[in-house]
Amino acid sequence: MNRSLLPALGLAALPLLAILALGFVPLMVVVVWSFWSWDPVTYWIRPDMSLAAYVAILDAGRWTVILSTLAKALVTALLCLLIGWPTAYAVHFLAGRRLSLVLLALMTIPFFTSYLIRSFSWRLVLGRTGVINTLLIEAGLIAKPLDWLLFSDFAVVIGLVASYLPFATFPLILSMRRVDPVTMQAARDLGAGFWTMLRTVLVPLTFPGLFAGFLFVFVMVAGSSTEVQMLGGAGASIVTVMINDVMRVANYPLAFAISTVVLVVIFGLVLAGNARFGLARLFGEGGA
Amino acid sequence: MMQAEGTLSRLAIWTITALGLIVIYAPPLYLLGVSFNPALQPGLPHLADLTVKWYLALSGETQLVAALEQSLLIALVTAILATLLALFAALAHMELHQRRTAWFLTVLLPMFVPGVIQGLALSAVFQRAGIKASMLTVIGGHLLWALPFAFIVILTSLSVVKRSYLMAAADLGAGRLRQFLDITLPLIRPGLVSAFIFAFLLSLNEFTRAFYLAGRQNTLPVVLFGKMNAGASPTIYAMSGAIFLVSVLCVALVAGPALLRRRAGPAE
Repeated sequence: MNRSLLPALGLAALPLLAILALGFVPLMVVVVWSFWSWDPVTYWIRPDMSLAAYVAILDAGRWTVILSTLAKALVTALLCLLIGWPTAYAVHFLAGRRLSLVLLALMTIPFFTSYLIRSFSWRLVLGRTGVINTLLIEAGLIAKPLDWLLFSDFAVVIGLVASYLPFATFPLILSMRRVDPVTMQAARDLGAGFWTMLRTVLVPLTFPGLFAGFLFVFVMVAGSSTEVQMLGGAGASIVTVMINDVMRVANYPLAFAISTVVLVVIFGLVLAGNARFGLARLFGEGGA
Repeated sequence: MMQAEGTLSRLAIWTITALGLIVIYAPPLYLLGVSFNPALQPGLPHLADLTVKWYLALSGETQLVAALEQSLLIALVTAILATLLALFAALAHMELHQRRTAWFLTVLLPMFVPGVIQGLALSAVFQRAGIKASMLTVIGGHLLWALPFAFIVILTSLSVVKRSYLMAAADLGAGRLRQFLDITLPLIRPGLVSAFIFAFLLSLNEFTRAFYLAGRQNTLPVVLFGKMNAGASPTIYAMSGAIFLVSVLCVALVAGPALLRRRAGPAE
């Protein structure tokens, strides 16, 4: 047994080293440093076992930023599921072979394009002189441009949905591939209409995909910053932007404490989701 | 497949699907259109007025050009390293039978670390260790970001390598290295190319980590971010449009054939 593990360990050594050195170790250091305290003499932090930074999260409106981040993540994740589920249905059940390939490619592209450029482009659409305001004015529906379209929570949520929609669509498509069509046929033979079949058979069977899609989008939004920086209104914030702001005044312990809280929430959610549904299985890479 | 949705339901499903695609693609495509407009005010150009003058003007934007060169170099090194490490990680995954789920998660988890937090953590640790911010520190940050994606792509391509092929090669006296070079490598070459291009694009377009880790010479997204907030100009539209277009074309070139192959292959 140990002998057969040797080649695997040899192959895993380099990637593991990179993951530890660039990911795990710096993040652990940040967690430890979040308990240290600020030393004005050295302009750095000194070893301590203080919860001051965590207490500071609770004051000065920081609490509301965390709440609004959770709200944005929740709303975006639900919207992505509402759009992503029908999209997955279209890709898997409705589209012909060629069209479903095109749709899959269109859903793959966003992962590898710039979130910065895509967020920025919404400014041209939602701005005072943007496409939507111009069209509405030309149609005579409004007299002067709508101001709340851009630099608002509305704009941020639209930008977030545009950025992270594929993170919901892909798990949903994968979960639909695992549904045995016979179960749907059986429901129909027993007299269920399309909507009854959806409600009683297909939606429950795609629950792992719904859960994974929700989780992915929620986690991505919780860690996002570009959309708020590009599309948010004056004073708009999200935890990662708050970390940027705290760093600007070199309040290291507070920045590290907020980071720690975000990391604990994100990894807690991902690992809990994995324990319940098995992320590895979702990618078609069975555990055995 | 049985089609019992009814016309109205089907229409609703396609409408929502189209809506999702419009939300993703309409704004950047509009930006691309605007970049061909000779006017300073953003808007779609008339067909007769199409111009590439803002693209030509890019060569005069020394700051953008220097940033682009830096970004291309960083993306190239990141892509080479990420592809190699992901290949090792994927081969290890194949060798690990019982514990592969744990290894899969270990490689995948960095994907979920927010860019701001990873950038901040790395830059703080580098700073304390006396490592100056430079191209290398950005590559360090980007490597971890690109690795999980490259890993998944290579892992998917490894599924065509059947155990029996390797066993047959072993029966004919091939050692592990020979098996890899003669059997595995040719079969997964398309996957390696895809992983390389994806990693390249992820690095090229990455912003939040580079924001913390870049040294004196910023990467393109960091420079673009500054310029976008300092009042956008047509050259910014041109640069953004060009990067978006190149990214889309690269993924389309890779994803198209890859998806075709996957569908044509045996069912999972």
